[in-house]
Amino acid sequence: MKFYRDHYDVIVVGGALAGLSAALMLADKGLDVLVLERHNLPGGIATSFVRGGIEIEAALHEMMSIGEKNDRLKVGKFFDDMGVDIDWLKVPEAYHASLPGLEVTLHPGLETFAKEVDAAVPGTYDRVLRLLNLCHTVFDSVNELSVHPMSKPMMLLKHEAFVKTAGYSTREVLDTFDLPQKALDLLAPYWIYVGSGFSDLPFTIFAVLMADYIGYGSYIPRKFSHEMSLKLAERAEAMGVQIEYRQNVEKILVKDGKACGVRTARGDEIRADYVICSAYPNKVYTSMIEPADAVPKDAIKMVNGRRLSLTAFSVILILDRPAEELNIHDYSVFRGDTMDTDALYRDLAGLGPYRYLTCICHNYANPGATPPGTCSFSITTLPRVDGWKTVKAEDYDAVKHRVAKQMIDDMSAYYGVNLLDHVLEIVIETPMTVARYTGAWNGCIYGYAHTMQDHIVARLQTAEAEHFIDHLEFSGAHQISGDGMGPAVTNGRKAAKNVLDAMAKEAAR
Amino acid sequence: MKFKGFLKDVGGASRVARARLEAFAAASAEPVRDDPIGDVARAWHPGRLKLKVVDIREASPTAKSFRFVRADGGELPFFYAGQFMVLDFEIGQSLISRPYSISSAPSQARGKDGFVEITVRRSRGDGFICDHLNDDVKVGDAFTALIGCGQFYYEPLRDAKRVVALAGGVGITPFASMAREIAAGKLDADLTILYGSVASNDIILKDELEALEGPRVRVVNVLSGDEPGWTGERGFLSADLIRKYSQGDTTYFICGPQVMYRFLREELGKLDIPARRVRFEVFGQAKDITAFEGFPGDLKDATFRLTVRRGIREDVIPAKATESLVVALERAGIRIDTGCRSGECGFCRTKVLAGSVYVCPENDGRRAADRDFGYVHACAAYPTSDVTIKIPIE
Repeated sequence: MKFYRDHYDVIVVGGALAGLSAALMLADKGLDVLVLERHNLPGGIATSFVRGGIEIEAALHEMMSIGEKNDRLKVGKFFDDMGVDIDWLKVPEAYHASLPGLEVTLHPGLETFAKEVDAAVPGTYDRVLRLLNLCHTVFDSVNELSVHPMSKPMMLLKHEAFVKTAGYSTREVLDTFDLPQKALDLLAPYWIYVGSGFSDLPFTIFAVLMADYIGYGSYIPRKFSHEMSLKLAERAEAMGVQIEYRQNVEKILVKDGKACGVRTARGDEIRADYVICSAYPNKVYTSMIEPADAVPKDAIKMVNGRRLSLTAFSVILILDRPAEELNIHDYSVFRGDTMDTDALYRDLAGLGPYRYLTCICHNYANPGATPPGTCSFSITTLPRVDGWKTVKAEDYDAVKHRVAKQMIDDMSAYYGVNLLDHVLEIVIETPMTVARYTGAWNGCIYGYAHTMQDHIVARLQTAEAEHFIDHLEFSGAHQISGDGMGPAVTNGRKAAKNVLDAMAKEAAR
Repeated sequence: MKFKGFLKDVGGASRVARARLEAFAAASAEPVRDDPIGDVARAWHPGRLKLKVVDIREASPTAKSFRFVRADGGELPFFYAGQFMVLDFEIGQSLISRPYSISSAPSQARGKDGFVEITVRRSRGDGFICDHLNDDVKVGDAFTALIGCGQFYYEPLRDAKRVVALAGGVGITPFASMAREIAAGKLDADLTILYGSVASNDIILKDELEALEGPRVRVVNVLSGDEPGWTGERGFLSADLIRKYSQGDTTYFICGPQVMYRFLREELGKLDIPARRVRFEVFGQAKDITAFEGFPGDLKDATFRLTVRRGIREDVIPAKATESLVVALERAGIRIDTGCRSGECGFCRTKVLAGSVYVCPENDGRRAADRDFGYVHACAAYPTSDVTIKIPIE
């Protein structure tokens, strides 16, 4: 007896947020979908694990694009529309910024945020609010244009702010607001979630980030990101999607210029009309396409012409005291000894010391996250892959522990409490951990760096020309919407839409 | 570079697209396959490897040490002292896996002549695989194995420099690995092993452990039996004994039989030790599931139909109420991935599609959302009706 049907409409390679969102959307249109996931559970890094009887979040800090129950943003709405009912908990603040000369807690809501910045840096309210409103206008345009493309004259008419900022970096646009350095510093902490220094970060990306997070706040699922991943998977299966875990896809089979199936490490060859792949194009075009000569030279040039973005290094601690007893008072603390994002970005190419840390204490959004009397506290940096590429297997453990210790020591000094005296459980996640569990190319979690030449606006315009193999679509952080768990869902939906559009076009022919 | 008055500029979108295409046109057309970060991940976690037995030697009158190397001559993976390996067996039609703590040191696995060892004691009649290893396995035999599993290892950012190991029986093996690593200067900790045995000839790896004693490794054998002439410690690993060999800030590592875990939880409770300083190795598969609270006693002789879905395929096999789903699958020759067999690691995560199961409360290491959707760790789940499950295709 066989394990697979003779044929599927679509095979989705990778059962994380992007792949599952694609599968849901396709199943919703009545298509036969097979999802193949290499790990034994869904979600990729959107997952959790249990240590010492305590469940621990693996990766999620804050989910964007969710929105209040009656005023959902696009990801929240997609989940609702698909019948994926997640127990969202609102994160109480935007962030606590611990920056040179600043200890400020800021909350979501454009006006609230501007007021709080003004309280810390008086006289900035109008300018900060004007900037946030510009961000919001651009955000609205991006959301609309990613669904309804339009001609350039129409864009200029209806989306003027978007069009006029599209060619500029975050630094260039921020400079025109003539804000004092401290106010600029307070606007910068989230930069790490898009992973480029402000000189190279397209303003469009910054605008979307700020409007979404600051305008609407962020959320986490009560039962960790595994709740989200599992509910997507369960809903997909209920809609008829076949999901098979522990199946590592090694080859994407191409015939007559069209993807027509996959081969797994087990040796199963499975046929389908379309393949949606979450593996990085770097890996797909250099080693997964069979026959290899079905890959055009331009596809190789495309991946070689891009820069990989960030990977992750996290120290997750379960501490044996309630957070407040350890002087931890916020859900998220962004701490840096400078807010020069360009300098910080350069440092991320090394192996530490990392000077910009993001700390999350889940208990402040989810009091039941850990047993009474304990708390969870994670310290994260998002390095570039460059430094970690130089680490040898035999040195890996020492490097990992050195970096982790530096991060813990830094935060211990900040809180005035030696966190090492309170460790019930410690988990150190590295780029290698990401590579181990997800197979992501070089452990990269952020896809390609957002730069002035690898820009969502550019990505949208050239998408068609970068479609190198028919019936093969990509989903994941390496796609148009970029990195983050919210954008992962959007990337997955986009891949599904491309398949549906191609099917409609061929049916019409 | 500053663009004064840029808000009049409407050409930005075209400019970035042009820059993008120019960058691609200028890029190399040579495929780049380098994934050094993935390579390190694979050096530590290569997945299942083929091993062969190169040496078998006596570790006590009732236990043997088995030395393995890679069958293909390649390098063994990295791991931490205290971790286990999963060894796969094909016996008759059964496909069985077992976790064994690695008794050799991680540093002994390095290099071209690297090896790993496990030390296995003959059972008292209830350990089919332990006896198979002791009686049947010979030099040259080949196995597949997964090396470097589990959380039972010294973590310098969590544990005290001083470690007291509380070992019982064959539970000495992870501490043999730690002691070897410390003696080799590769692990920065001070280890005192309190090793409980019934009689002196039950002591496993006795000579090898004694040879490791030095400034940072100490072994204290404790006999519970009434053995004439024994001049060392006697009795059980009691609170008093533990206190006697503890000095200042200490982390306690415990590995041994299930009865010892129950005993030691009480004894350690009498000492003023913070929770973070006590590390138990996993509990192991429950010896007698009917003894656990909530197990439906009237089912102790019941056998149910277990429908196993893999992909679109279904097989129906028998499953005893007193044996875990993993055991039923292994008996029937259906491969399921297992690790710790204690409900902790989740390798055998399985969806229950229909029917009911009893989950061993001592070994329920599931994620909260998994519980909500009927997932179990099959090594810790026992059928209490006819059951349908879905497991990965192996």
